[in-house]
Amino acid sequence: MASPVWRIARKELVEQARDGRVRLTSLLLVALLAVAFLAGRQQQQSIRQEHQAAQQAMRNFWVNQGAKNPHSAAHYGLWVFKPVPPLALFDAGVNAYTGVTTYLEAHRQNDFSRRPAMDQPSVVRMAGWSAAAILQLLVPLLIILLAFPAFAGEREAGTLRQLLALGVPMRTLLAGKALGIAALLTLVLGPATLLGAAALAGSSGQTDSPRVLGLALTYGAYFALVLLVSLIVSARSGTSRRALLVLLSAWAITSLMLPRAMGDLARWLHPTPSAEQFQATLTRDIANGLDGHDPADVRAKAVERRALAHYGVTSLDSLPVNFDAIRMQASEEHANTVFDHHFGSLYDRYRAQNALVQAAGIWAPLLAVRSLSMALAGSDIEQHRHFAAAAEAYRRGLIAWTNAYLRDHTRTGAWDWKAPPSVWRDYPPFDYAVPPVGQMLGPQRRALLVLGGWLIVALLLFLRTPTPRLE
Amino acid sequence: MPLDPSPNPTSPLIARSLTKRYGDVTALDALDLEVRRGELFCLLGANGAGKTTTINLFLGFLAPSAGDAMVCGRVVRPDDPATRRHLAYIPETVMLYRQLSGLENLEYFTALATGVSPERDALMALLQTAGLPPDKARQPVGGYSKGMRQKVGIAIAMARNAEALLLDEPTSGLDPRASNEFSALLDLLRGQGAAILMATHDLFRAKESGTRIGIMRQGRLVDQMEAASVGHAELEQRYLSHITA
Repeated sequence: MASPVWRIARKELVEQARDGRVRLTSLLLVALLAVAFLAGRQQQQSIRQEHQAAQQAMRNFWVNQGAKNPHSAAHYGLWVFKPVPPLALFDAGVNAYTGVTTYLEAHRQNDFSRRPAMDQPSVVRMAGWSAAAILQLLVPLLIILLAFPAFAGEREAGTLRQLLALGVPMRTLLAGKALGIAALLTLVLGPATLLGAAALAGSSGQTDSPRVLGLALTYGAYFALVLLVSLIVSARSGTSRRALLVLLSAWAITSLMLPRAMGDLARWLHPTPSAEQFQATLTRDIANGLDGHDPADVRAKAVERRALAHYGVTSLDSLPVNFDAIRMQASEEHANTVFDHHFGSLYDRYRAQNALVQAAGIWAPLLAVRSLSMALAGSDIEQHRHFAAAAEAYRRGLIAWTNAYLRDHTRTGAWDWKAPPSVWRDYPPFDYAVPPVGQMLGPQRRALLVLGGWLIVALLLFLRTPTPRLE
Repeated sequence: MPLDPSPNPTSPLIARSLTKRYGDVTALDALDLEVRRGELFCLLGANGAGKTTTINLFLGFLAPSAGDAMVCGRVVRPDDPATRRHLAYIPETVMLYRQLSGLENLEYFTALATGVSPERDALMALLQTAGLPPDKARQPVGGYSKGMRQKVGIAIAMARNAEALLLDEPTSGLDPRASNEFSALLDLLRGQGAAILMATHDLFRAKESGTRIGIMRQGRLVDQMEAASVGHAELEQRYLSHITA
């Protein structure tokens, strides 16, 4: 014997499924998701192949660069490429705007370049919706369209009176309708999810099951939230037209206006310098020190004093090693403190912006969902920062290695000396390990709290929804 | 389909000084009424006389300002839908789900009301008893006439084995033949022991189908009579005298 909740759910499902408008809308949504997944997979495979080929070419070039002065090799540098996370086909996150490659060379920590967004003319940007954008914006719209008449429409049609006259409790009605619409959504999104899974399985990257599960839970919670709110509004609205108006207004405000406004507010409260300003500040502080009172000539003298004391000699000519290499390494280490300070400050500002946007999820839960989605997909700024830190650590290691080689194998002033061709393969290739998802969810505490809070409040209000007045 | 024996021997529908006020306006004024098993009580009255308010109070859709409405011995409360399980309600136009067939609507409402899964064959037989042909019963309700919807409404009431029926102008807008068929179905239900309270403007139908007739005016039950004890002319005369007084 089926429970009343299940009966109501089944009726909702059958009724909605027979509605041509619902079928057409659902079909369009599935088609959009399919296109987004397939396009994402194609783009991801293409980028991954290009990166792998370029990375291999860079390694070959480094290993086979022949006899060369190590400092020249350090200046010649090499490119490293950010790996494309498998789930970026679902949510590209900030990858399109942060750049995919950086040039590692002596003396400089370079910013990332080759931003995919730069390759797209502005008219194409809207057409290139990711699957995440469709789930974040269009699926809630579908839920609203399915749920707004649930009570208000039944009241207008007179069927709610019939139902209530049977003695069906309000909670049973609420639960049945929620379950029915959720079942329909599962039917609509199920094929698209399978397609996404196939796209993911077909891509050459490794799929991280906890990340996939996290994404499923995040979006499941968000859809449940939208569904609960839509049913509450429907039950409390006098007419279905009013319910639709309220829900569409809420969607527009929380999905379109507030995210944009909060992004602008975050940038206003935690501004980041322009690329030009940033570079000028780096140059200035490398020259004069972070406090402005540490000029290069003073630092050079200090390095010289330390080197002489270390080797127990009184002149640079007496040093058993190449002092130029020691000075260059000291200069690198000085520059690194400047880079750490300014890049750290820059990323801290990004983090502050993100924290504010996550907290703004109190007004627009979509902001929390977006933040979680990017983090789980591995395409948020924190994971970009993680890669940037790994690339910078590799650069510093590489430069330190070339300076140490020069220091230990030559004497001061040996600028024409060349290291043997076989030496370059001694330095290992860049091998980046993607951080585990747990590590990346730390900065998402606010987003998790906000989304969970919204869900709990909505559930409490849902359970307290009064029987609609019929008179 | 026989009715379940009621555990309550009293009249299924009882109003005791039932009153409903909206501010200064008294929609129903101290109504005392009993509808016994096998009885069809017709409430006559002009628009605003209090007929629909009475039905809404029995359904628990409204809270009384004073007095009680009782269904099968239990006082009706808006926050307690339990009394509705003894009731079947047929409004002026039975509203059904347009995307579902008559059979599916009947199955849905019956299952919700009774908590058991009804047999489809039994439901189809009920629809046929109510006068809905099998081919129509399987078509979406969106294409039904009002008469066909009322027949589904009757079938729902029959399937539920309701002890009491509340009908709010159910024959309004029906053609004479459909109205006659509807009355025949009410006779059938009454014969099975249901207590029926029907609000109507149709004096002829009240006289022909009803067992008792009450006339309401400005929220008060101003006259009642045995249907068999009055002729059509006398009923009309008494009705008009109250309405125009």
